[in-house]
Amino acid sequence: MKHESIETNSGLLIVLTLIVISIGGLVEIVPLYFIDDTIETVKVADKDTIRPYTPLELRGRDIYQREGCYLCHSQMIRPFRDEALRYGHYSLAAESQYDHPFQWGSKRTGPDLARVGGKYSNEWHVQHLREPRSVVPESIMPNYPWLLENKLAYKDIRSRMRALKMVGVPYSETQAEYEANIERFGQEVADMLDVEQAETNLLTQANRANYDGNNSHVTEMDALVAYLQMLGTLVDFTKFDEGYFAQFR
Amino acid sequence: MADFFAWFTHMENTKPLALVLFFVTFAAIVIYVFSGKKRKKRLESYKNIPLQDDDEQDKKIREESDQ
Amino acid sequence: MAVSTGLGGEQYDYDIVRKFTIMALVWGVLGMFAGVYIASELAWPMLNFDIPEITFGRLRPVHTTLVIFGFGGSALFATSYYVVQRTCQTRLWNSGLARFTFWGWQIAVGSAALSYMLGYTQAREYAEMVWPIDILIAVTWVAYLLIYVQTLRQRSQPHIYVANWFFLAFILATALLHIFNNMAVPVSMFSLESYSLHSGVQDAMTQWWYGHNAVGFFLTAAFLGMMYYFVPKQVGRPVYSYRLSIIHFWALIFLYMWVGAHHLHWTALPDWTSTLAATFSILLLLPSWGGMINGIMTLSGAWDKLRTDPVIRFLIVSLSFYGMSTFEGPLMSLKSVNALSHYTDWTIGHVHSGALGWVAMISFGSIYHLVPRLWNTKMYSLKAIYLHFWLATIGIVLYISAMWVAGIGQGMMLRGFDQFGNLAYTFIETVSFLHKPYFVRAVGGALFVMGIMIMAWNVFMTVRQSKREEAELEAKIAAKMAQAS
Repeated sequence: MKHESIETNSGLLIVLTLIVISIGGLVEIVPLYFIDDTIETVKVADKDTIRPYTPLELRGRDIYQREGCYLCHSQMIRPFRDEALRYGHYSLAAESQYDHPFQWGSKRTGPDLARVGGKYSNEWHVQHLREPRSVVPESIMPNYPWLLENKLAYKDIRSRMRALKMVGVPYSETQAEYEANIERFGQEVADMLDVEQAETNLLTQANRANYDGNNSHVTEMDALVAYLQMLGTLVDFTKFDEGYFAQFR
Repeated sequence: MADFFAWFTHMENTKPLALVLFFVTFAAIVIYVFSGKKRKKRLESYKNIPLQDDDEQDKKIREESDQ
Repeated sequence: MAVSTGLGGEQYDYDIVRKFTIMALVWGVLGMFAGVYIASELAWPMLNFDIPEITFGRLRPVHTTLVIFGFGGSALFATSYYVVQRTCQTRLWNSGLARFTFWGWQIAVGSAALSYMLGYTQAREYAEMVWPIDILIAVTWVAYLLIYVQTLRQRSQPHIYVANWFFLAFILATALLHIFNNMAVPVSMFSLESYSLHSGVQDAMTQWWYGHNAVGFFLTAAFLGMMYYFVPKQVGRPVYSYRLSIIHFWALIFLYMWVGAHHLHWTALPDWTSTLAATFSILLLLPSWGGMINGIMTLSGAWDKLRTDPVIRFLIVSLSFYGMSTFEGPLMSLKSVNALSHYTDWTIGHVHSGALGWVAMISFGSIYHLVPRLWNTKMYSLKAIYLHFWLATIGIVLYISAMWVAGIGQGMMLRGFDQFGNLAYTFIETVSFLHKPYFVRAVGGALFVMGIMIMAWNVFMTVRQSKREEAELEAKIAAKMAQAS
């Protein structure tokens, strides 16, 4: 075949171009679904410790995306000494396995948030989100006062969980799925993953923890702080041997 | 000979194999494109296509800028 | 060999090219202004004004979408529709469908920008559009592909000129990337929100396969198509080596698709993937520079034109920036360099040396070449083109120098330790350090915006002048006709 036949035949040009541009993506993306080591096994006492988000955390994550937090904050700690000191243990692939979409980020205009959960109090987060410069004077983060004012919309929480279930997150709708979740995550977590109980679970979690310090209604602040406070807290690294996670890299 | 074929069945050999395949393909294309006087003449003749389609406006603009 | 005589405007469909050219400038001004505004928000956070719609997190996708898809996309539609007609010496296939691509694209870009400000986003960089807009884009894109291929098929020139290969590869690759990266399940039929099909590692890989090839095909291959037509045409000499362009094409489109994972070095992505991506990123230097040399050497023997023709200046400077950023890119894809540069403003600077230096500059050059031909007149002001050139060039230099200081400086501070092995700086200390570079960057960006505003004014005046000339000509003809009768 002469190159001339490509230059003079648009059909052939299209087919060859498609082949040439498909190879790279196929080789790099497809194996990630099939190589078992890609995502670490993280089990304590035979239960998965990494779980899908609770309804409230899920809504918090939606708000995190809506405000474009991922454009300035990463959620991916790299295996370097300075990052270990600053942020904690490097991030595992398993920790974002229920993230649709992933929020690893690409730029740290602010610090990494992969393990921000539990580092600060709820009050600190509320104050910081409302007016960052009142707690960190040099901060360049915008104020988010409306998070405290906006009531959280949660009527569609079940549709959200069903959509996520369709893409593979183990929220349960049937008794069998619920029991499988008990087996996999334990009773307490399995209850939170039940789609039918979503609204009740959301309200209970918001009222019990009262993240925004105001229990008259559930605000977007409640949801966002609930999400931030669980980030990176699902793996207790003291329960694993030092070299355990290195074998997956 | 059997050993030779067995080499291809090992997963860890896919990298050198792919490297050789891609490189040979690349080298073949380069040699093909840059060899032969006739091919050179033919291929290089195509570069005039944009200039052959010189319409009134092109000419007018060129004359103006040459002044 | 079909050689056209007479006015191109009669033989070809220039109307659609004019439409897209105007919109490229409109989105360019708006998108670059949004860029300067968010750059200023980083220097002076009070500019967020506690208004949700204009906070950094919501405006940043507005900026990227307007400049990449609004400005870049419209410029590509305009030039590809022009080039395919001129090099195939045939009229665009199906004018009606071409107008559909125009409206489809403009509505997609405009509604995307509005939806981000209202808080609707997929939260995937450069693919933030919500699912209904994604579908509109997909439909528009299929129409674009159909028009392009059908126009190629009805060409009166046996050979398909190299610029068209690049445009075609760009259209095909963008379709592939757009569809696979935007697969998602909507919350409901009446909700704009959706959740992506992939998650975690696989999602990250898919997204950066898309993200980097948006750069590779949308912002590079397509603009190389522009380069292969407008540089020879403006210089009045054929491209330096046609054979080099063949190698350039196949090597570039093959290699680009492998390199996306270099955005994920040292993350939870398996090492084998990111190593592979780094290797291909280094290899990519060769076709990139091959293409750059091919473009610049087209001018060999006519270097004096650089002094007299400001349009050639835009084209040649854009190729120089292309060469620089395609050298910087492989460097930053090395794992050791990336450990420092990733997550910092060095990346932002690198993107802009490509986006402002290469993409915007070659588009400006091409549009300055197009406008007199599309409206059958000459540019209203040559001096304004020179002014635009200098504002843009100085703006870029300020921008990328500021980002080098910011990125490398912050990277060094973050990995610094004191004599006791403690971290030398807190994160917030690096933020304070960034204030000055952020100020300089905003100034550089502002100069660049002033440049494109002058261009928009110049084009507007040119169009008005063309309308006046046309009216005068008609009046003259009418007077002659009256005399004759």
